[in-house]
Amino acid sequence: MYSLLLLTISIFAGFLGSLLGLGGGLIIVPTLTLIFHIDIRYAIAASLISIIATSSGAAASFLRDHLTNLRVAVILEIGTVTGAISGFLIAASLNPQWLYLLFGSFLFFSALMMLRKKTNSVSHDEHPWATKLGLSSSYHGPDGKLVAYKVANVPIGLICMYFAGILSAVLGIGSGIFKVLAMDNAMKLPIKVSSATSNFMIGVTASASAGAYLLRGDIRPEIACPVSLGIIGGSFIGAKILPKIPAETIRKIFVVVLGIVAWQMISKGIRG
Amino acid sequence: MDKIETLEFKIAKFLRAGVLVAGVFIFIGWMSEFSMTENPFNKFSTYQKVSFFNVAINGGWSVILSYAGLFILISLPIIRVMLTGFLFFRQKEKAMGTMAFVVLALLLISFVFGIEV
Repeated sequence: MYSLLLLTISIFAGFLGSLLGLGGGLIIVPTLTLIFHIDIRYAIAASLISIIATSSGAAASFLRDHLTNLRVAVILEIGTVTGAISGFLIAASLNPQWLYLLFGSFLFFSALMMLRKKTNSVSHDEHPWATKLGLSSSYHGPDGKLVAYKVANVPIGLICMYFAGILSAVLGIGSGIFKVLAMDNAMKLPIKVSSATSNFMIGVTASASAGAYLLRGDIRPEIACPVSLGIIGGSFIGAKILPKIPAETIRKIFVVVLGIVAWQMISKGIRG
Repeated sequence: MDKIETLEFKIAKFLRAGVLVAGVFIFIGWMSEFSMTENPFNKFSTYQKVSFFNVAINGGWSVILSYAGLFILISLPIIRVMLTGFLFFRQKEKAMGTMAFVVLALLLISFVFGIEV
C-alpha cells in the first residue's frame, strides 16, 4: 500500500519533471521526508537515482533536436563531477537539520528562478579556450534557420559547475537550475542550448555521487525501486503528452507548491 | 547530421534501452518482496549505517536483482562518457577525448569514496 502510494507520487513527479524540465529531485526529497517520514539522507540518495533515470531517458530527444552542445558538456562535467565528489564528502559531516534548511532555501530559490523571464544572452567575443576546443556552435531556430552562437567565460562556467556538483550531491538534486543560470549568464549560451546541455549533464553529475551512496548502503531498494520505476514511467507519459498541455499554467501552480514545501522543509529543519 | 551527431545519437538510443533493461530488473526485484500490508519505510525513519554488501548479502535474491537494476542505471551515464571519449579519439580530437576520460576517471574514483573499510 505504502509502496504503491510512493510509486504513484513518483509517476506524478516524473510526469511533472518532464513537463517543467526538472530532474524530479525537487519533488522526491520532500515527498519522502514530509509524507513518508524517511530520514533525509536516504531520501537524498534515492532521489539521485531518479535524476539518472530522467536524464538517460531524455538524452535521445535532446540530441535529436541538435540543441545539446556535447563539447561544452564534456568540459563542464569535469567541474560538476569534481563538485559531486566534494559534495558527497561534505554531506557525511552535515547535520540532517542543516540539510532540511539548505533544501528549503534551495526550493525558494528554484521557485524564484522559475518565475524569471527567460531571455537569450548573446556573446560577441569568444573565450580563447572556446576557440581552441571548437566550443562555439549553432542550432536550428524556430524558423528553421541556423542560429550561430559563441561561448564566453569558460573558466567561470567551470567554477560554477563545481558548486552545482556540490549541491547535487548534498541535496540529491540535478541542480539544473544553477547549471542553466551559469551557462546562460556567464557563458552566454542561448537559453535553449543551456537547458538541453544541462539536462544532458545532470545524469553524469548524479551518477558521481549515486555510485558512492550505493556502495555506502544509503540507496535502499525498498525506497529506490518504486521511486525509479515511477520516475521512468511518469517521464515517459509526460514526454508523450507534452505538446497537449499548457506548461505555463502548470509552472505557475508548481511555483506556489514549491513555496509551500520550502516553508515546510525549513520549519522541519528549525524544529529538528 | 555529422559523424559526431550520428554516433552520439546511437549512444542516446543505447541509454534509452539501458533505462528499460534497468527498469525490468528493478521491477522484478521490487515485486519479489512486495507487501500490501506492512509499511516498508518504517525502518528508514532514522539513519543507520549499514554497508551495501551487508544489505545485499542479507536481502536475498529480490534485493540482489533490485541492486543489479540500480547498478545498471547508475552505470549508464558512465558508459556514455566512456563512449564519448572513444568517439572523440576516433575523430582525432585528442584534447576533447582526454577530457572525457578525465571525467570517466573522476566517476570511477567517486565510487571508491563510498566503500568504507
